[in-house]
Amino acid sequence: MPGLGTSLGFGAASNHPRDLVNSDCILIMGSNMAESHPVGFHWPVVAQERGAVVIHVDPRYTRTSAVADVFVKIRAGTDLAFLGGVIRYILEGERYFREYVVHYTNAPTFIAAEDQRAGDAELAARCGPATADGVSDPWVYDREVEPDGRRGQPRIDPTLTDPKCVLQILKRHYAAYTPEAVARVCGCRPEDVVKVAELLCRNSGRDRTSAIAYALGWTQHSTGAQIIRAAGIIQLLLGNVGRPGGGVLALRGHACIQGATDIPVLFDTLPAYLPQPRAVPGHATLAQYLANGKSYLSRRGEAPDGLWKGDALRGGWADMPKFTVSLLKAWYGEAATPENDYGYGWLPKLDEDLSEMSYFMKMHRGHIRGTFLMGQNPAVGGPNARLHRDAMRRLDWLVVRDFFETESASYWYADPDGVDPKTVPTEIFFLPAASVIEKSGSFTNTERMLQWHDQAVPPPGDCRSDAWFVYDLGRRLKALYRDSTDPRDAPIRHLAWDYGSDSTAAAQEIDTEKVLREINGYHVSERRQLRGPGELASDGSTACGCWLYCGVFPDAQSNLARAKDHRIDGDSIYGGWAWAWPANRRILYNRASADPDGRPWSQRKKLVWWDGEAKRWTGHDAPDFERDKAPDYRPPVDARGLAAIAGNAPFSMHQDGRGWLYAPYGLKDGPLPVFYEPLESPFINSLGPHQSDPLAVVLVDPMNPIAAPGDPAYPLIATTYRLTEHYLSGAMSRFDSWLCELQPEMFVEISPELARERGVANGDWVVVSSPRGEIEARALVTGRLKPVVVDGRPAHTVGLPIHWGYAGESVGAGVNTLSLLCLDPNADIHSAKSFVCQLRAGRLGNGRPPEPLPVFSRPVVQDPIPDTPGAAQPLGRFGHGQ
Amino acid sequence: MASREVEVAELPQRSEPPSGPLSDIARRLVDPFRTVSPPESRPATGFFTDTTVCIGCKACEVACKEWNLLPADGLHWSGNSYDNTGALSATSWRHVKFIEQLGEPTPAASVAAPKTPLTSSPAFSLQRLLHEPKDGRWLMMSDVCKHCVAAPCQQACPTGALIHNEFENVFIQPDICNGCSSCVSACPFGVVTRSSLDGHSHKCTLCYDRQRDGLVPACAKACPTQSIQFGPIDELRERARARVHELHRRGVTEAYLYGDVPTASYSELNSFYLLVDRPAVYGLPDDPVNPWLSMKGDYVRAIGSGLAAIAALLAALWLGGI
Amino acid sequence: MRTGDGRAAHAVSTPLPGGYAGRAITHAPAWGGLVAWDLLFNGISTGLFLVAAICEIAAPRVFASAAGVAYAVALGFLVVDLAALVFDLGDPLRFHHMLRVVKPGSPMSVGTWCLTLYSLPLTVAAAIGVLPGEWTSLDAVRHIAIIVGLPFALGSAVYKGVLLSTSAQPGWKDARWLGGYLTSSAIALGCAGMLFLSLMMGEERATAALRLALGILVTVTLIPLGLLVADVRPALAQAYRARELSGLAAACLGGGTLLPLYLLVAGKTTSVLVVGALCVALAGLAIRFAIVRLPHASA
Repeated sequence: MPGLGTSLGFGAASNHPRDLVNSDCILIMGSNMAESHPVGFHWPVVAQERGAVVIHVDPRYTRTSAVADVFVKIRAGTDLAFLGGVIRYILEGERYFREYVVHYTNAPTFIAAEDQRAGDAELAARCGPATADGVSDPWVYDREVEPDGRRGQPRIDPTLTDPKCVLQILKRHYAAYTPEAVARVCGCRPEDVVKVAELLCRNSGRDRTSAIAYALGWTQHSTGAQIIRAAGIIQLLLGNVGRPGGGVLALRGHACIQGATDIPVLFDTLPAYLPQPRAVPGHATLAQYLANGKSYLSRRGEAPDGLWKGDALRGGWADMPKFTVSLLKAWYGEAATPENDYGYGWLPKLDEDLSEMSYFMKMHRGHIRGTFLMGQNPAVGGPNARLHRDAMRRLDWLVVRDFFETESASYWYADPDGVDPKTVPTEIFFLPAASVIEKSGSFTNTERMLQWHDQAVPPPGDCRSDAWFVYDLGRRLKALYRDSTDPRDAPIRHLAWDYGSDSTAAAQEIDTEKVLREINGYHVSERRQLRGPGELASDGSTACGCWLYCGVFPDAQSNLARAKDHRIDGDSIYGGWAWAWPANRRILYNRASADPDGRPWSQRKKLVWWDGEAKRWTGHDAPDFERDKAPDYRPPVDARGLAAIAGNAPFSMHQDGRGWLYAPYGLKDGPLPVFYEPLESPFINSLGPHQSDPLAVVLVDPMNPIAAPGDPAYPLIATTYRLTEHYLSGAMSRFDSWLCELQPEMFVEISPELARERGVANGDWVVVSSPRGEIEARALVTGRLKPVVVDGRPAHTVGLPIHWGYAGESVGAGVNTLSLLCLDPNADIHSAKSFVCQLRAGRLGNGRPPEPLPVFSRPVVQDPIPDTPGAAQPLGRFGHGQ
Repeated sequence: MASREVEVAELPQRSEPPSGPLSDIARRLVDPFRTVSPPESRPATGFFTDTTVCIGCKACEVACKEWNLLPADGLHWSGNSYDNTGALSATSWRHVKFIEQLGEPTPAASVAAPKTPLTSSPAFSLQRLLHEPKDGRWLMMSDVCKHCVAAPCQQACPTGALIHNEFENVFIQPDICNGCSSCVSACPFGVVTRSSLDGHSHKCTLCYDRQRDGLVPACAKACPTQSIQFGPIDELRERARARVHELHRRGVTEAYLYGDVPTASYSELNSFYLLVDRPAVYGLPDDPVNPWLSMKGDYVRAIGSGLAAIAALLAALWLGGI
Repeated sequence: MRTGDGRAAHAVSTPLPGGYAGRAITHAPAWGGLVAWDLLFNGISTGLFLVAAICEIAAPRVFASAAGVAYAVALGFLVVDLAALVFDLGDPLRFHHMLRVVKPGSPMSVGTWCLTLYSLPLTVAAAIGVLPGEWTSLDAVRHIAIIVGLPFALGSAVYKGVLLSTSAQPGWKDARWLGGYLTSSAIALGCAGMLFLSLMMGEERATAALRLALGILVTVTLIPLGLLVADVRPALAQAYRARELSGLAAACLGGGTLLPLYLLVAGKTTSVLVVGALCVALAGLAIRFAIVRLPHASA
């Protein structure tokens, strides 16, 4: 998310999967789309039928590679080197889309004081421009100086030749990423870099567009955000962003993960990516919070002012006061008044890292007394699972809500480490959850689209939805604190919290459409729904639970998430089906599909364009731009908000309206992506002086040892991944016989070369070990994991499917016993895609496979199917005709 | 794929049969011999499976099991790539096969060989690089009953359970089959087996029940890349031929259709395939033979041998002076 | 190797670039060892009936009494055989479904109807045969019965082999002479059975004639057997190891042909002749087992 956010404006996919039918070239990298998004993979196949080239770059030959036209194998964890090679190819050959780059990106912008660190290009790239005394320069851009001394517009060079402009800095930075150097790191051939880069270049420009699709193969690295930045750079250079068949598709890994970050369950953001306030002076009051703007916390250094503060003045984020005040009004209702900063003081202020791994580390140290786990399975799903389970054993109480007794509910007696239940002090409550068809609500999927679903059947027995639970919990807490005078209880006491019916209907599900209405927002006094974010105000007259979703429920009866219009415009835009944020725009930044004068770059690739007569933007998609802003609009010097964005600047969430090749702020580890080896690697970094990302955080604990680079005890690369047949930690799939029989056992994939070396035949038991622990599994020997050659020796990879644990019908080793606790500096994601391990033939311990836990569930096969007439019973089933 | 979805409630309800032991026996004796006028013939339907776009996701296997409420077959890890189903059977009517063709393992000595340098070599050609074939293949194919136009299973069935229905699909009437396994013996593709759960033979019904309600078979509906295509068989054959033509044009010259036309020894298949390697690689007979081609001759030989033995007996009796 | 309901045995295979080439494609029907006994009993019953009927028609005075008993014995074998067939069905309670259709194109249907239409006259003939006393009027009925039963008995003997060879099973599908061998063998078995009965009943003239007949039939059966072996040689080689095959050959040629021939020609006492007859039966059973196991063994 931060990678896309800093490059383009929003941390979300810019295009949607169906739009891939418009692509002339699709690069799938850091993703196994066919296996993880099989339904969405229909679209690359259609694109192929229309003549597109599908490229898959991956450490393994997967089901995606089987269908792709081009497959390049690289060593796990070297994606950024490969992308750097592609960027260099584009720049050396001047293959970038010049007109797009000059007008729509910050390529021509001058960077100040860059040469201070010119001696160490990597350091410069990582830390950004320095002032004379070596401290990072918060102003970054080199600006005109006004006669009165004020800093004016950034200096630009439209010819892109000045050494201080971003494009030339980029060129110098990636000069070292030659095809040979990249091949040495990645293990591919130098020709492969040329091939992929050339295919992307040929298929970009006025008439052709290319798309890049990625998933957790990129995010789950210590440099995850920077890898995605590199993709953003490529797509901006090639002019693919905001265009049909172009863009960067973040293929998110769960049905509603986009929703889970929009209305977040994240510790560090408020709804719609507003920053969670910190316990720092800059966030002490609402006025300060708003004045410092969105990027205050992602600035580099400690200066109180800098370029980053411009977000509060110019561009889409300048409306942060409207977003924030409306959010507070939604939460605190009548209690939020101008006098009490609309309840800003009741928001918790962060004073430490409370991301998942840090949170569990705190738990491990005994600082957390109780936890709610809802649809989460950290006992096997968390990296370094043994540490997670150990942490959970320190809790006083634990509430688990799920469909089955997952590993996280049964760890107290079923832990494969053989922990004695009598030593576990935790009191565990297991509450059965309702499944998706047993409750109504919406999903927000990878294309930012909200789709409503209705309850199909009532939940059985005592199962309840999470919404019911959380709402009821809130009611009870409010009742508990009603008479409290402790200021700590004030936030709960003052919550508006009016989603359900009255106390007598405690057993009923809440009205989820009430929640969505509030998320959409309404005028407070008349209780009238808002029609769009343009109606938001910062004076407390509007309430809105998430400004990005404003417009989904434009009047009390119209839930646009229910819309079912099948019509398709421009081959991929179905604006009448459900609703996408923001404002039902399907392709973000689509202003960029027209040239600076508002005409489409080509007829073949037209999406939105300026209608000179009607004086508005029109086209196949809702324009991601102010509808009546003319292309020749140039903002006055003191313009604010969106009015400060010119008519030829598509990236309105950035204060300069441009896509960022060089990120002046927003990412902690630097304005330009630099290749580092993964934290644990058998190889030494040959592309730079620093082995791994200096800012990646390793959580230090005796249970979390890290192998040193090149440690001979762990010479193999471990990589984790999904299989189509199962889902995540298996809590939803390993309790289903039909899915279990498709992949019935945990296995590890190794190459015939490694198998030969270790004396392992296909199907033999092997033990895979890492500094954190060891697991046993059957070996699937396959040529799909043939090693690449790096630094003159084979880079053997051990493939580890993630789906198994000790609860369910099919049980097996959980791979997170092997993984490590470390966080990337920007998104706090762990490095699941590349760490180290060792492998030997043999078994652990007593040699018996784990016993499946008893599962108490109704059999699926019922004969006859209840409530179904005889004519509609399936004909082929068993028992028929008896 | 548009379909007419008919409200379940509007379908004619069949009344429940009377219960009680005597009427039960009577029903068992009489019902199988009741005949009804066969339904009106409809355009023949079938499957065209384009294996070049199969992603091996097994949605077809699961959809089939879900719709037909087939039991799971147990957890048996095969070690054969990602194919843990093993074979078609009475309880698995769709089976996705995986064939890994990724070249020989590199000999140990050459694994560490140095990289050849690049593009400055005069032999380097960008065009050739861009069009070089992909290194290695992983073939995937969703196997199913072939719904042969002249089906040996249907020819073998002694109870008349196996019929060609009004859609020209091969269908086992589940209330007639008595598990004699003649069909199992006769099928050259190894499709049908007899179940140990109820003693009857079962196989793909081409979702006869769904077709009658104007729906598309469950597997075709679930297939995300439209590798499994359903429709009138003529349309499918046309589409398939056009697809092969297109693949040839793109350089995939090994693509061909299996079962779209009759051979000298076997009829057409109403569930036919687009393949890119020999049929045997996919576990299909290279040259299927309809067993009935030799039946008449076998009878002649058998009866002839019997008569010859009888003649020998008579000769012996005569020689023995009887 | 697949069981009758299609599940692969729990063995781990290695993915190969040849994919599924070389693996068995077909499923073997779950006709287990019981089928070999069925082949034997069917052969004995029909063969016994045919031989008894032919002998009785050709020389009633010599064979009538033995034949009368033979029909009852044949009926006994038939009843056991039919019971085995019914219980070998997946759903024995639905055996009567076989009578829903008459399908000459289906060997199993032909067999069903032949067996049904063979069993009725056989029952009549057997019943009359064991009735005490002289019922000359019933003799005519018996004659009509056995003549009516002749084609159906032949059909019942013939269909079995054709059923197996009209299939896709490895081995069976190439066995063009399987029906020929089984029919010829059935008649040889019938002759052996008739000989056994004659011996037990002390019918000397019948015994003498049948000794010669059995010797000739055992030899004559070698012809379709040889042709059958030629048909299935590749499948045999794949299914059985060389040692097993030579053992089988020794059993058939030695124990099933030469030994009985010797015993029949040179044997003086009853028991020797009985042993000779039993050898023929045992060899027949062994060959039938080998045939039945062919698809399972080559999977």
